[in-house]
Amino acid sequence: MSAEVNPDLIVDLKKFGVKSASACFNCGNCTAICSLSSESTPFPRKVIRYLQLGLKDKLMESPEPWLCYYCGDCSETCPRQADPGEVMMGLRRYLTSMYDWTGISRLFYTSTVFEVFSILLVAALVGLGFYTFHGPMLTDRVALNVFAPNTTIEILDLIMLGVLSFLLLTNAYRMFRAVMGDPAQYPELTPFEKQQFQNRIIRGIPAPLFISEAKEFVVHFLTQKKFIACGTASQRMQWFNHLLIMTGYSTVFLLVVVGLRWFQRDEIYALWHPVRLLGYYATFAILYGTTIAIVGRIKRSKTVYAHSHSSDWAFLVLLWLTTFSGILIHGTRMLEMPLTTYYLYVIHLMIAVPMLVIEVPFAKWTHQLYRPLIVYLMNVKKRAMARA
Amino acid sequence: MTAEPSESTTEEKKVGVYICHCGGNISDHVDVDQLAKNVAGIEGVTVTHTNMFMCSDPGQELIQADIKSGKINRAVVASCAPSLHELTFRSAIKRANMNPYLYEHANIREQVSWVHHGDTATAKATHLVAAAIAKAKNLLPLEPIRVDAVGHVTVIGGGVAGMRAALDLSRRGIRVALVEKTAFLGGNTARLDRLVPTNDTGENVVRTLGDAVIADPGITVYGCAQIVGYEGYVGNFKLTLAQSTLKCSTISHEAGDWVSNTGLYVGEAGKDGQWVVESGAIVFATGFTPYRPREGEYGYLNVPEVVTLPDFIQEMAQLPAGGRPLTIGGRTIRRVAFIHCVGSRQIPGIHEPGGDGKLNEYCSRTCCSAILQAAVQIRTRYPETRVFEYYRDIRTYGRGQEDYYDRASDQNVLFFRYEPESPPLVERIERRPYPLRVRVKDTLTFGEELTAEVDLVVLGVGMQAHPIGDLVDMMKLPTGMDGFLQEVHPKLRPVEIANNGILLAGACQAPMDISEACNAAQAAAAKAATLLIKGHVELDPYVAQVDGSRCTGHGRCVEVCPVEGAVRMAAGKASVNPALCTGCGICVGECPEQAIDVNGWTLKQYEEMVDAILAA
Ligand code: SF4
Ligand code: SF4
Repeated sequence: MSAEVNPDLIVDLKKFGVKSASACFNCGNCTAICSLSSESTPFPRKVIRYLQLGLKDKLMESPEPWLCYYCGDCSETCPRQADPGEVMMGLRRYLTSMYDWTGISRLFYTSTVFEVFSILLVAALVGLGFYTFHGPMLTDRVALNVFAPNTTIEILDLIMLGVLSFLLLTNAYRMFRAVMGDPAQYPELTPFEKQQFQNRIIRGIPAPLFISEAKEFVVHFLTQKKFIACGTASQRMQWFNHLLIMTGYSTVFLLVVVGLRWFQRDEIYALWHPVRLLGYYATFAILYGTTIAIVGRIKRSKTVYAHSHSSDWAFLVLLWLTTFSGILIHGTRMLEMPLTTYYLYVIHLMIAVPMLVIEVPFAKWTHQLYRPLIVYLMNVKKRAMARA
Repeated sequence: MTAEPSESTTEEKKVGVYICHCGGNISDHVDVDQLAKNVAGIEGVTVTHTNMFMCSDPGQELIQADIKSGKINRAVVASCAPSLHELTFRSAIKRANMNPYLYEHANIREQVSWVHHGDTATAKATHLVAAAIAKAKNLLPLEPIRVDAVGHVTVIGGGVAGMRAALDLSRRGIRVALVEKTAFLGGNTARLDRLVPTNDTGENVVRTLGDAVIADPGITVYGCAQIVGYEGYVGNFKLTLAQSTLKCSTISHEAGDWVSNTGLYVGEAGKDGQWVVESGAIVFATGFTPYRPREGEYGYLNVPEVVTLPDFIQEMAQLPAGGRPLTIGGRTIRRVAFIHCVGSRQIPGIHEPGGDGKLNEYCSRTCCSAILQAAVQIRTRYPETRVFEYYRDIRTYGRGQEDYYDRASDQNVLFFRYEPESPPLVERIERRPYPLRVRVKDTLTFGEELTAEVDLVVLGVGMQAHPIGDLVDMMKLPTGMDGFLQEVHPKLRPVEIANNGILLAGACQAPMDISEACNAAQAAAAKAATLLIKGHVELDPYVAQVDGSRCTGHGRCVEVCPVEGAVRMAAGKASVNPALCTGCGICVGECPEQAIDVNGWTLKQYEEMVDAILAA
């Protein structure tokens, strides 16, 4: 089977931050140096080649971009300054937009105007909502739950969770379909197996395989342990930083979405209270992680930070501001400053909500699902292939 | 013009033997002190010396001191190969006022220490040195042959190399006849547009040289002329010229006119019939011809959308500046595919030989850069046109040429790499929107088969030797397997060929670019000038000599001599023209009377050497 080349794709990819892929002359040094690349899934050279050739289907089917944690070794080794690491980053943006059926992701990544506008729009809606519906603003004490009752907010939270989950999961399903490839490529089931599995065959693969590998998904979701294979101390710092942001964010996500009734309280918990401790951990982890990343990107201190797409800034800045405004709220509450607290609370949500709405199903936060999902699916695929 | 050996046969032979350690190259394997002892006793040997480096100044001074003090009148140096240092020692001897031909060289490095070890090495060295001593005792003083030389050079071919050589020679005060078959100067360069790496135009280069050539009173340009007769030897060639067989007279332009894609008009020589030009040296600048693909090679001739690079360059050059999109033959070209190595680097068993049964196994060296240059031009002038390149290797070896690769890849030129056994396949597809499909097994994509649809396929054709078979036969010129004229040594004597007085300039010798052709032309001009500037030429005296008292006029020597005119019969006896004789010695073996011998390598000398080897 031969593939038809399409020279226009590489031009399209420029908007996703892939600037230098045409410089690659396919020597393979990047693949040789990469500590995550393996014989069965070698990268980054292979996908860079597909990109040069404009083989969209092959790219859609490639798990490699999600296996790369961007340590930057390849970019430092590349003799052509093709910046393979950044190409992989751009490919993740591109693939995210390809998996997204709404088209919002593509707009978000390829148009800075849309990016700014969409964030502002959601923020404005949140502001408007509070302006119209907020509760009484008591000034004799800080009564956040009167101003914005946690029960109401919780309901809104859950609605948002539902919508975002729907979007994210449908996108993830599209990713699943793309990376598992053509069902016909898997070894055919014997009549006995067909009978055994009956209808429990998913895209050419017996369902039990999906179940037996599920543990992998959980482990990778929680630890991102693939990243640890990246060799040097500074790369391990990078992993640690990544883990901080990820766990901090997840913690706060759980607190806010699932546990809001315990998290948003008007009485202040004792210092040792688990909810308060979790809150401290999360804010510290995110603030520390994002600050390091922001400073790095400003200084371009590492290869990974050398190029910044506007979406990278949006992600970091929104996250940092969310956390920072959250800390301020905590402070003003303890200092008993009711009005300031209410205003800060609105501002906090005007930052946090757009961040969640845009990033979770359409942009960087998808990684959190896509990465472990890919590792898991590749294990399933490998086993399905080896079944013969 | 004499090669008579002077008589000094009666004086006593005193041979000095000088043995070199060559650092340790020789002495690590040959016991040089033992060797000195072994030969010291041979009759006639008066001194033996060993030295760490005989070629060093102190080494040479050893010999000179012995000559000056009268200890020796023959010298033998046992060291490396004579091609390296024979001349060094001859010159040293000459500076000490001894005849430089009273010298013999024994090679005990390449022939001994580098191939034998221990006692056998020393034993073999002893044999070789003994033989050299035997020959040295029989050496006679010789004088180099002097031939008067005409201060005139004929340059054949009016391309850039020919023009460059002609100008250089004329500026050194040597008159030049520039013979060009067509009515135009400029050769292949005149048909090029932008040149690598300067982006200068072919026209500009040709005009700069051509205008100077036309204006130079020392250069006579014979347009529409060809060489039909040749005789003579270095310093005194006689070339017969005639109107070229090309139909020149139908073209009418003013001399000095630029005709695009053709060259600078010079017209006809203005002579009738045949005429003779006398030259001291000849410079070949006959250039190359672009490879012409076979019918059906990548669809050539069968598919109208397949063209060669030179044709494509000419088409592009004619397009108006600023016009877009790229339109050729009335068709908009949205995608172009270039195929590298067409007619170059051919491999037996894979490629089909051309009409002459030959394969072009060499790399044509210019096509990679030329293709990249064209690709960059397209991407710059017509950014909406996409470019694909199918290569085997990218060989942009020259200064500034790699930049073209960088620029091409910067500008999204898409590269594919094919193996010679599975070249790209060009097919016509009736399907819109593109008329052609190129199919390739791409080694950059793990050998996967890739197809690309394109509007035009351009074949990066290589260079072939210009067909000058008539001149090669007439002048008995050496050519390589590849059909190009062959130099004596690619590094040590790069612009000379075995025929004394004939020099090579440019792509008649091998594929090369314009800069390299001009380098070669300047080197050839410098060589020709140094040869002729003294008014005479000195040649080695190793030529045949007839012993008149023995010659009975069989004429066998004349029959077997491979060089026309080197030996003739005059008044019933053989007579040698030392300027033509190459000293090959074939006649010596044939003469039933042993009446002919090669000076410096006489039969007697050989016999003595053999005896010495057997005795040692
Ligand atoms: S990205 Fe760089 S290192 Fe990797 S194959 Fe291409 S040129 Fe080589
Ligand atoms: S220069 Fe390039 S295209 Fe031409 S023969 Fe050599 S390798 Fe092939």
